[in-house]
Amino acid sequence: MNKNLSYKKPLLETPFHERTLEACYNNDWYRWAGYKIAKEYSSTELEYTSMRNTAGVIDITPMHKYDIKGVQAREFVNKLVTRDVSKIQPNQIMYIIWCNEDGNVIDDGTVFCLKEDHLKIMCAERNLNWFTDTATGFNVKIQDITETIAALAFQGPLSCKILNLLKVTDIENLQPFKFGNYKINKSDVLISRTGFSGDLGYEIWCNPADALNVWDSLFKFNRDYKVLPAGMNSLDMVRIEAGFIQPNADFMSAEQALRTNRMKNPYELGLSWLVNLEKNYFTGKKALKKIKNSKLNKKLVGLDIQGDKPANGSVLYDSNKKEIGIVTAAIWSPTLKSNIAMGYVDSNHMKLGSKVYAEIYHPEELEYKKIWAECEVVKKQFFNNNRKNAIPAYI
Amino acid sequence: MKNFDIIIIGAGPNGLSAASYLSKSGKKVLVVEKNEKVGGLALYADSSSSLSKKVIDQLGLKINARKKRTFVTSLNDSFNHTVLEIDENNSIKFNECEASLEDQNSFLKLVKKYNLFAKTLSSFMFNTPPRVKSGNKSDLWQLISMGWKVRKLGKKNMRELLRVIGLNIADDLEDNLTNDNLMGILCNEAVLGSNLGPRSPGSILTLLYSNAINGSIFRNNNLDTEQIISSIEQSCHDRGVEFLKSSEVKKLLINNETVTGIEMNDQNIIESSTIISTLDPKTTYLNLIGADRLDTDLIRRVTNFRSKGNVAKVKIEFKNIIKIKNLDEKYIGSKFIYAPNIKYIEHAFNNNKYNNYSKKPCLEFYIDNKNISANLYYIPYLKNGSHDKKEIESNIQLILNNFIDNNELIKFEIDTPNEMEKKYNTSGGHWHHGDMEIDQLLIIRPFYGSAQYETPINGLYICGAGTHPGGGITGINAINASKQLLKK
Repeated sequence: MNKNLSYKKPLLETPFHERTLEACYNNDWYRWAGYKIAKEYSSTELEYTSMRNTAGVIDITPMHKYDIKGVQAREFVNKLVTRDVSKIQPNQIMYIIWCNEDGNVIDDGTVFCLKEDHLKIMCAERNLNWFTDTATGFNVKIQDITETIAALAFQGPLSCKILNLLKVTDIENLQPFKFGNYKINKSDVLISRTGFSGDLGYEIWCNPADALNVWDSLFKFNRDYKVLPAGMNSLDMVRIEAGFIQPNADFMSAEQALRTNRMKNPYELGLSWLVNLEKNYFTGKKALKKIKNSKLNKKLVGLDIQGDKPANGSVLYDSNKKEIGIVTAAIWSPTLKSNIAMGYVDSNHMKLGSKVYAEIYHPEELEYKKIWAECEVVKKQFFNNNRKNAIPAYI
Repeated sequence: MKNFDIIIIGAGPNGLSAASYLSKSGKKVLVVEKNEKVGGLALYADSSSSLSKKVIDQLGLKINARKKRTFVTSLNDSFNHTVLEIDENNSIKFNECEASLEDQNSFLKLVKKYNLFAKTLSSFMFNTPPRVKSGNKSDLWQLISMGWKVRKLGKKNMRELLRVIGLNIADDLEDNLTNDNLMGILCNEAVLGSNLGPRSPGSILTLLYSNAINGSIFRNNNLDTEQIISSIEQSCHDRGVEFLKSSEVKKLLINNETVTGIEMNDQNIIESSTIISTLDPKTTYLNLIGADRLDTDLIRRVTNFRSKGNVAKVKIEFKNIIKIKNLDEKYIGSKFIYAPNIKYIEHAFNNNKYNNYSKKPCLEFYIDNKNISANLYYIPYLKNGSHDKKEIESNIQLILNNFIDNNELIKFEIDTPNEMEKKYNTSGGHWHHGDMEIDQLLIIRPFYGSAQYETPINGLYICGAGTHPGGGITGINAINASKQLLKK
């Protein structure tokens, strides 16, 4: 039998697969960039709770990682992204987005500065093509190093405590959006204080050979602190609470959208703070200048919704029952005890405090309950704990 | 340095025409040319296109036409050469021809069809191509009028035009003709200077387009290129245009997405708020502007613009006066074609696909006493390395020795696309700065985001052969661009 038949092994396995397979009681997998990632290990609610109360471990190895080397590395990234990253220092991380020539967002990610001439970009979608085309004329070398780095997100209020117990020296003094080289049970790791949960949390980047050692270490103190592996479903819950947006869920990546009017610019996504129109030329600058001076037609906002039924995929209306937008992500937030969502509203309802209405179809024992719920436009960042930025971090 | 209203980079036919036109309307113009001699790539051409006559008129100049080349001779390996005589009205007579009468008639009918379609196409040339989504009424009107011109052909002809416009020339020829030589003659016109073989889709369009620009299918024009160039240059001098020869522009000075001047290779800086580049799009965008000032989408379009040349210019000197075997001496002034049949050309094209020169190349040449000047194809542009010129020389010799009576080659000069690139700063060494195919013509020449002779950089215009209506030594690009510029 040919073992290489594509249907025999349709998805790649991450270096953590041995453990995630064991933990994945439901055998419920999600396809992320050709890799198998657990959607839910046993219970989404439990996994969510571990991230909000102790700590959760998420396999984020499929995250695309690009290595950028060369004397013009910083200049290249500055040309690529809308934010001014020309002064990024070693050990610093910046959240970035990049746009196409029409000023529509292609993807977001983080840029890590290892040395002045050596950067790394981590992002959810494939971007090598875009990066190499952008690098035309720059003295840089770009490489896809996704497979050479195993990555875990370690998120939750006790994450620092557990790393401390693992004798990761001085981890509590690592500032948000900074990273450093550490050791976990003798394995060399790179730990960054970043994450997708809006709470205290770290991302751990290591050699695939050390992957299982790092994984096992994080669960070492489970007798006292219940750390759980968390799946994509629970990650989605925490990221909505934190108000983080996701390409191809909350907005269509400009490189993938087929219909031009479905693409979104940073102003529509509420990311104007990432756009610096004063810096040197970058892709989309001309278009973004124009967009900034014109009226916004749509904007992604946070919604606080009446009742307790999540408004997944709901259509939004104004008080005259005129359609004004759509919900892109919604959950009942167990921590906040409120019904929250992100969605697009029209120009008349962008202000905080505006009232809009969601039409929620809630399935209840084989029948739809149709709910007309009032929503208030609020900031997208629903969950924001002080722990996130505290130094030293809570141990 | 003095101040100039407009700086023009490159003194080819387009650069000179633009300089002459703009100075006529009172602008102070400086022309910067890399070489000592003006003319650029046009210096390679035997004659200018017939459309350049209209450009000459627009510039207010007079020029004496020379005598047309009346004969087109297609050489045949069995020495039954085909000789066509073409009179002033472009009607064709078969002086020598082995083809059957039926074939001859079909040939004439085919040429008539192509001429008709070419006439429709040539009516598009003198307009700036419309912008589809501008919302501008004049753009919309022009688009409608372009459609109307096609519709005016009549139902039958319009259908035929739309049928053949994407087809390959070999199919259409094989449907109508049986004689190899006659097919070869038309194929030569369709594929010469393009990156196509006879069986490549779109080769009919290149034939029609070149026909439209030259006003005749065999490009037998009565306008001498050197004469045109020197008379336009003279008019520039008369109108106060200043020239800066033997000096190369290093890059454009750009501030806040607006040009402010040029920097020369010798560090000199000349300031101006309007600059016209007649260089090819790739050189203009990637070298003069610099990729760091362009959106990534545009960089993609620039780098994807197909501009690989594959015609070499050859100059050969023989010891004695050249005579062709089995051909009357009165035909010695004709245009000679060696492209004996479709298969031969297609095989020559095969090498081109793999970046090799054709072992058995096609030739188009003119004889002047002891000299031959020839277009040799396919000799593709090489990104790395260079061709073996000795080998190419012996390949040509093999062909010519077949047809030339007792003679001896004493001098051989060849300019491959790589040399053309170096000499005239034309990336890829392409005659027309870029393939003239359906996706690189009209509204989308050179590419989306750079139409109507404008660029994303304020004050920078382009009017090289890489813009509408393309190459072929017309000067129309310059006139259209100048009009566009003066509108602002």
